[in-house]
Amino acid sequence: MSAPLVVFDKVEKQFGDFVAVKQLDFEIREGEFLAIMGPSGCGKTTTLRMLAGLDAPTVGEIRLGGRVMNDVAPHDRDTPLVWQSLALFPFLTARQNVEFGLKMRGVGAAERKERALKWLEKMGILEFADRDISTLSGGQKQRVALARSLVMEPQILLLDEPLSALDAHLVIRMQAVLTDLQRELGITFVYVTHSQSEAFAMADRVIIMGKGEIAQIGTPKDIYRAPANQFVAEFVGRNNILSGNVQALSNETARITTPSGNFTVPTNTVQLTQGAKASFVISADLVHISLGEPDGENKAQCKLISEEFVGSMVTLFLEDAHGQEFKVQMQERELSKFDLNSGDQIWLSWDTASAHVLDQS
Amino acid sequence: MNANRTLNVILGIYVALIFAFVFAPIIFSMIFSFNSQRFPTIPLGEFSTEWYAKILADPDVWEAALNSLIVSTCTALIATFLGFCTAYSDFRYNFRFKGPYLALILLPPTIPLIIMALAMLAWFSKIGMSGQLYSVIIAHSVLTAPFAMAVIRLRLNQMDPDLEAAAWNLGGSEWQTMRSVIIPFCKPAIASALFLTAAVSFDEFAVSWFVSGLNKTLPVIILEIVQGNIDPQVNAIGTFVFLISMTLVVLAQVFFASRQLKSIRS
Amino acid sequence: MFSKLSRKLNLFALTWRLPIIIWQFVFFVGPVLFMVAMSFFLVKNYRMTEAFEFVNWSKMMNRGYFWDSYWYTVFIAAVSTVCAMCIAFPAAFALAFRASDSTRRWAIFLLIIPFFTSYLVRTFSWFVILSESGVVNAMLGSIGLGPFTMLNTNFGTLVGYMTLTLPLVVILQTVTMANIDKTLVEAARNLGCSAFRTIWQVIIPLSKTGLIIAAIFCFILSFGDFVAPFYLGGSQEPTLPILILDTTKSGQQWPRAAVVAIMMMLTLFAIAFIGIALAYRKPKGAK
Repeated sequence: MSAPLVVFDKVEKQFGDFVAVKQLDFEIREGEFLAIMGPSGCGKTTTLRMLAGLDAPTVGEIRLGGRVMNDVAPHDRDTPLVWQSLALFPFLTARQNVEFGLKMRGVGAAERKERALKWLEKMGILEFADRDISTLSGGQKQRVALARSLVMEPQILLLDEPLSALDAHLVIRMQAVLTDLQRELGITFVYVTHSQSEAFAMADRVIIMGKGEIAQIGTPKDIYRAPANQFVAEFVGRNNILSGNVQALSNETARITTPSGNFTVPTNTVQLTQGAKASFVISADLVHISLGEPDGENKAQCKLISEEFVGSMVTLFLEDAHGQEFKVQMQERELSKFDLNSGDQIWLSWDTASAHVLDQS
Repeated sequence: MNANRTLNVILGIYVALIFAFVFAPIIFSMIFSFNSQRFPTIPLGEFSTEWYAKILADPDVWEAALNSLIVSTCTALIATFLGFCTAYSDFRYNFRFKGPYLALILLPPTIPLIIMALAMLAWFSKIGMSGQLYSVIIAHSVLTAPFAMAVIRLRLNQMDPDLEAAAWNLGGSEWQTMRSVIIPFCKPAIASALFLTAAVSFDEFAVSWFVSGLNKTLPVIILEIVQGNIDPQVNAIGTFVFLISMTLVVLAQVFFASRQLKSIRS
Repeated sequence: MFSKLSRKLNLFALTWRLPIIIWQFVFFVGPVLFMVAMSFFLVKNYRMTEAFEFVNWSKMMNRGYFWDSYWYTVFIAAVSTVCAMCIAFPAAFALAFRASDSTRRWAIFLLIIPFFTSYLVRTFSWFVILSESGVVNAMLGSIGLGPFTMLNTNFGTLVGYMTLTLPLVVILQTVTMANIDKTLVEAARNLGCSAFRTIWQVIIPLSKTGLIIAAIFCFILSFGDFVAPFYLGGSQEPTLPILILDTTKSGQQWPRAAVVAIMMMLTLFAIAFIGIALAYRKPKGAK
């Protein structure tokens, strides 16, 4: 594992009486693509702004490459930010925008021009170098904004929802551009977003934030398969969440009683106690369906409510006799083996290993 | 619908009458300035440039014109500087006593000029600064700074609030950012404010009259001529002043409009 | 916390904040406060000496001519305000509801022009136009009317006040009414409200704040103007500004002029305060 480039050490930020973030305690590794994700108002942008020095932590320390950054002015840091609004200078051309940071750092005119043009070329917008910013399209502006930050050749690049203003098809293209760039340059990307698909598609690790606190840190797969708590499980969305009481405990599994029936779950790292409340999740894509009652310990009979198609994937929305809702995700061609209509009764089942117990706290 | 159309016609005529009333004195003054009659009436007398010849031959008028030029130029520079500083402080910072701070710059235009004139005259005499051209410049700067402030503040409102932070983020200090982001962004508004404050200063007569002493500006000359008797020279000077003021206002408007065009395009 | 403070009150911040504070304190607050102080000074042998006496106040407050002048000025400025508001309203209504956006913009631009023309020259122009043998009487004479005496009357003064205030009042009223949600007006008409009732019960209440502010500005301008009552009204009954002018320019009685000026300012503050309180007063029953 590589050394941490950035350390947030028990950082807290208040604006007046409002606590924007608290107990921020995490590391950013050199060369990783880290996404910070959460609903709006969760403190993710504040976290990024503190890293850029635009907001100062109220409590705690932020270290960059071992150096305490709390009192370093924004312009003395090397933490270029790609803004949600892009914040391109409207009175400058594309090339002058890219040159801006170099000019501030006192780089000579000839070198500035050369480096700016190099980056504009790399971003595939060399032909627009001398155009006014207002004449460029959304995607082109996006590339100018990226070039403007990358021309500084930073160790770390901060991105604040940079794709939120783009059309859906451009978002996919820019995601590829960003991941390629990150891999090629080998620098650290810190990417703030509210979009799960963006974060999961690009990031090596994801931090999920809620109400100013970190809810979970992990790889996209960790978060998807093993959400730490209810907040993450709900935020990720593609999960079935069941709650009940612990009926029996063994070494590696537990039996949990819910209104919808009794289910066996692996205990993994969560401490469970007999009789206590417990919740667990099963990813929607790990649930199987059948018309007849299946074998196995984990099953539920449900009524089909509706179907939703996205590309070749289909999501079934179901409900059992006790009002518990279920989601099942599968390939469309797999579903076509069954002849289902709304209101049909079908059976759901899953492997014990697919379930994941949530931290109750 | 027919009644509606009749109403529209009546309202149209009414608006035209209001405009006629507002512009009648301006237009008549211009007509009179080329009219040979000493007491102009209908029917008009012959076309004449007599009054223009008269003012051009009057060294007092020339001196006053020069004074007016100096006063309005200096006023524009000082008032726009003050207006810019205040607009930026208001835009960027929140601080205690911000209300009184803004009142400090915005209050002067709500006080009748004759009162400002008296207060300025007394104060300048007290501190030994009365009767000079710079007295007029200082007084006019106080009166016109709010206009500059308003124009520049409106421009700053149109700025992406991230723009300044983006410049810091790219390594610009606050001073560098001021020079290479804020001022370039505000340039059209600064130009607009310069012309606007110059135009207001160029026409102001009450305060000038009180504090200028012997250094008369054009409006003060007009005031003195008018006090004597009917003298169509006033119309000639007035037309001249009008043309200069209008040029300044149109220039201010051009800068204002060009930036609106730009913001529409982007 | 320290970093935040030091970033807030550094040289940079002060550079932009201080100039106006210093400038206005020396050249705006200073003069106004000095004028207040001056109202207690004494004048002996045409020279002003610094003192703290109530002589000027008691003299002015006990003089009949001051109060005559005071009430006349309040009266004529109020008449001017009512006239300007009433004359401007139909025009503003037409511009706000019947004109296209571009027509309205042009109209407002044209109405701004007078602010940048010499008010003195415009007043002088009226002086000539309204005189006994001037343009208006010549035109009326050609259809067998007149001549009328218009100069040196209240009518003359009001013409001057209108010249000063009408463009501003029309602009403020137009902008206020143009900002009303048009669907509300249409809804009222749709519900069977007659045109005049719509104006009275929908448009005026909705634009109350803007209308009151227009009236306040109109009053301030008329109340403080010395040119119209002097040249067109003939200063038969001197208004307060003319009183200031006379006391200052002749006789060096600056302290007494200061008393008049302070009385004017107090009156304007009171009017503005009442007006603003009315403008922002919520309708009964609303929260």
